[in-house]
Amino acid sequence: MYDDAQDALAAEYVLGTLSADEREHAEALLTLDPGFAASVRMWERRLGELNVMVEAVEPPPELWDKIKAELGVVEPASEAPQAAPVPASAEPPVETLPETPPAESPPLTMADEPGTDSIPIPPPPVGELPEAVSDSIAASLAKSLAEPAEEPSERVTAPLVIPPEVEAKFEPKVEHKLERSANVVQLARGVSRWRRMTVVMGAIAALLALYIGLAQFAPGLVPLGPRTQVVAQAPGPAQLGARLVAVLQQEPTAPAFLLTVDPQSRTLVVRRVSATPEAGRSYELWLISSQFPAPKSLGVVGNDEFTQRPIPGNFDVATLRAASYAVSLEPSGGSPSGVPTGPVLFTGKIVESVPTAAPAPRT
Amino acid sequence: MLMQAELVWLVGAVAKGDTAAFERLYGATRAKLYGVLLRILGKPELAEEVMQETYLKVWKMADKFDPTLASPITWMVAMARNRAIDIVRKRGEISIEDEPEAQNVPAETPAPLARREMTEELKRLLSCLGKLDPEKQRIVLLAYYSGWSREQLSTKLDIPVNTIKTWLRRSLLEIRECMGR
Repeated sequence: MYDDAQDALAAEYVLGTLSADEREHAEALLTLDPGFAASVRMWERRLGELNVMVEAVEPPPELWDKIKAELGVVEPASEAPQAAPVPASAEPPVETLPETPPAESPPLTMADEPGTDSIPIPPPPVGELPEAVSDSIAASLAKSLAEPAEEPSERVTAPLVIPPEVEAKFEPKVEHKLERSANVVQLARGVSRWRRMTVVMGAIAALLALYIGLAQFAPGLVPLGPRTQVVAQAPGPAQLGARLVAVLQQEPTAPAFLLTVDPQSRTLVVRRVSATPEAGRSYELWLISSQFPAPKSLGVVGNDEFTQRPIPGNFDVATLRAASYAVSLEPSGGSPSGVPTGPVLFTGKIVESVPTAAPAPRT
Repeated sequence: MLMQAELVWLVGAVAKGDTAAFERLYGATRAKLYGVLLRILGKPELAEEVMQETYLKVWKMADKFDPTLASPITWMVAMARNRAIDIVRKRGEISIEDEPEAQNVPAETPAPLARREMTEELKRLLSCLGKLDPEKQRIVLLAYYSGWSREQLSTKLDIPVNTIKTWLRRSLLEIRECMGR
């Protein structure tokens, strides 16, 4: 099933035009929704071709020293014994490269000299295109991006089109004939994907408004704009412990669930603010923590406006505080498999909120 | 100069902790990445910072690189661009006139390549881009190369933000349809 809205989100994410909040949401989806991740990879592939046209600029030589220095601190990716199999025929790469195009391609030497091209594309072996056509297409591309608005006369009206007869002369690109015996590195999915997700979820904190709840789980929590904070008045010297609250939302202006976790009574309350469950589906709440390889279900929520229950499992307070929370749309009754199976709709993170001294009311 | 297959081999070697391969990979790719980053970030110091972060990620995540999903350079540039855009988005929506770094960012695309220097995919992409209205082409390319936000595009092109958003989405989906899945 193809979701245009989600694909457009992936496209804009790759293009770069999402706002900061939307980016954080997209990053959450990236780690939780494999379909979205696949869309993003496709868009990186499509749009990534534009990089070919960016001029290479040499960075300062000291940069390498800084990078090299950091390597010593960080271990490389896979030290596990099950590294990607090295074909017995593996030789230094220069000798095993596929046939290069005849004559006119540059020799395959290491790029030690500062070049203007990191990755030059070898010219097609035969059947040159008329230079005039090729240059005019490229030139009209550049022209169409001349200073806009102020000089409307610069606008190019002719679209970029490759004449079909030119199209027919394209040769398959040599460098796409990858050596099948080349090292194909392992793609580590599964466990490490969930772990990466928790790092990314930390970035979601900024996405949320922080509602610092009052001592009771009261409907008196007033939904405010995304960036405002309401600070609770200190209940007094016998004050209760931290109220941990998170707003689970998709867009900053549409909070959908309000989650409150009371570590002392080991209770959670989920208030459904705006999302209504679809018929035959249930919302399920998940706890995501770097301590666990996969999200942990906290149960189905949202059938009523308030869902209150003891926190399942025996997570310690530190885990509850540091975790991220997500709500996915599952079949009625929740996920059959113990991990999210449906789309992740809302995400949020709890931030510890009780200061040591009495907070001053803020608006 | 390095070809695709060699880069894939290098990434594989890096995944096993081969520092010499990593140095060669850096040598082959640094200028392209730096060029991309300078375009988006404007400031060399920021570009260098993101370079460091990106290459460190390459070092750490080389074992997760799947050559069937992307080419090494696409993979690396995507990571670098992602980080760069994160930075410029979090800088906040500063108008282009007020932000000197944004002024450094060129408002035009890179210089034209000769046709024979273009990859097959690039030709296909350009031909699909060519089917859009010139203004929509411009928006897509400015967004990609310069990392402009919808607000900046709106200001610079004097088009309402919501129109930019609608045009972007429509244009991107049309590009997708044109290029085939």
